[in-house]
Amino acid sequence: MTTTNDTDRGIDPRSPRFGAAITTVLLAATIVLTLIPETWVAGIVLLAVIVALFAVGGIAGIRRHPYGALFRRVVRPRLAPPAELEAPEPPTFAQQVGLFVTAVALLLALLGVPYAAPIGAAVALVAAFLNAVFDVCIGCLLYVWLVRAGVFRPRRGVA
Amino acid sequence: MTVIVAVAVLAGVLALATVLGLLLRSRTGRAKPSPTSADGTASTVADLAPPTAFGTRATLLQFSTPTCARCPATARHLDSVAARHDGVTRLEIDLAEHPGLAGRFNVLQTPTVLLVDGSGTVRTRFGGPPRPPELAAALATVLTAGTAGTTGTADTTDTQESR
Repeated sequence: MTTTNDTDRGIDPRSPRFGAAITTVLLAATIVLTLIPETWVAGIVLLAVIVALFAVGGIAGIRRHPYGALFRRVVRPRLAPPAELEAPEPPTFAQQVGLFVTAVALLLALLGVPYAAPIGAAVALVAAFLNAVFDVCIGCLLYVWLVRAGVFRPRRGVA
Repeated sequence: MTVIVAVAVLAGVLALATVLGLLLRSRTGRAKPSPTSADGTASTVADLAPPTAFGTRATLLQFSTPTCARCPATARHLDSVAARHDGVTRLEIDLAEHPGLAGRFNVLQTPTVLLVDGSGTVRTRFGGPPRPPELAAALATVLTAGTAGTTGTADTTDTQESR
């Protein structure tokens, strides 16, 4: 049951999962490359690419993400229409979380902190893997934890 | 570090993520009897909204957030359940507007659904989108108990749609 409003702004829920699957593979490669001294530089370059992709999804919004365009062009024509459309805010929030984790890891790695890149990539990998394989919604879990930690202030004065 | 060790580390991370995913999947949406909290503030919801917002016999109280992908579908599910029973309504609360409630009701994920009886007491909670059979069973328990316990309230007939 999709309203016209949903069709205007909604996205196919399978699109972010498709993107998360690609991200999972790239992060897996990053972990292996940054753990081996000979390929560390290549791994850091790959991590920088991942950071840039998260930045597009997290700042411009999930609908502008290149994986979304790839999904619409290549994958969606082969699938049945989605059962229902989803709001763009949750996957955009997930992209922002991914951007934060990988950007911090990249920065620390460039500052010379040992194992910063593989550890940061592993954290992001777990989230992307859970999203892609188990359809776990990061915005449903992490956002509440941040609310409880007091990161977000109430929009209204109450409660 | 050698290639073999690096790949082994990756395999370990993926194994960990798989265990985590299976754990989350097995727990989400299950009915849990609501424990009575020490100070009682987590066992009643009567102060969260005006009395008219609650159902006379039961209320499905849904905690949501703006970043919750599952919440709209859960809201539709709860609405369809509420529509099939007299005196049952759904009430949705955005935790972004009321962050204090996340701590008070120990909400760890959205949607979290509280099944509340006619007196405003929390009877059952669901972390994640409620599984339809478990929600139907929990609601039937609350409605049956309510009918047996109260007299004089203008309860109408129907309700016991078994599923």
